[in-house]
Amino acid sequence: MKEIIAIVRMNKTGATKKALVEAGVAGFTAFKVEGRGKIVSNPTLILERKKELLLMAGEDQTGEAEKLITDFLVGTSLFPRRLFTILAHDEDVAKIVEAIIQANKTCNNVGDGKIFVLPVMDAIRVRTGETGESAV
Amino acid sequence: MLLVRAIIRPEKKDEVLAELSRAGFHAATVVDVVGRGKQKGIKISGIIYDEIPKALLMMAIRDEDKEEMVRLILKYAKTSEQGAYGDGKIFISSIEEAYTISSGIPSL
Repeated sequence: MKEIIAIVRMNKTGATKKALVEAGVAGFTAFKVEGRGKIVSNPTLILERKKELLLMAGEDQTGEAEKLITDFLVGTSLFPRRLFTILAHDEDVAKIVEAIIQANKTCNNVGDGKIFVLPVMDAIRVRTGETGESAV
Repeated sequence: MLLVRAIIRPEKKDEVLAELSRAGFHAATVVDVVGRGKQKGIKISGIIYDEIPKALLMMAIRDEDKEEMVRLILKYAKTSEQGAYGDGKIFISSIEEAYTISSGIPSL
């Protein structure tokens, strides 16, 4: 038994859910989290993202938006993300991880999230009381 | 690789995150949680409060960074020299695999 923790973009929640169903696991728990990743030190990457984000800002608020976006990109603020935890059999882990990666990849190069795989000691189904692999 | 889960006072969150970042541990996930500890909550004028708000920090680190990470959290999440009830807990579990979604590379 393994626990898969996946931290993904908020707007990828639907795609992730769909990918999980297609991978054969429908059950998951998800909640809103905030976080930050590695510091992005590549200046061209930052410039690219800044340009993209500025295009999204309304015309009347460019000055304000530019300040906001600059603060946003220097790395001190926390970004909203969705955290999925999925319980899986050992043999399904590779398939699920691959499905999550495929559903969440974007061309932004940064900020797509992380996946962790943790060992689980035991699982118990509350309804029937069964334990171990059959409870997954 | 290890997953460090630290439950700390929400008012200490910013300070701990800033100090972790300064020490090179920039990556973290933060959740607002409620809970109670060994003291069964707080009793104030006869009323028991057992859903005390805390901040849950989750950090994935390399095995060799464990001691440094724990030391930093202990140092900056404490409210005084000797500490006080409610300062929080740290839990550490192992991570078998980690993937970065943008590159698909299996590493931290």
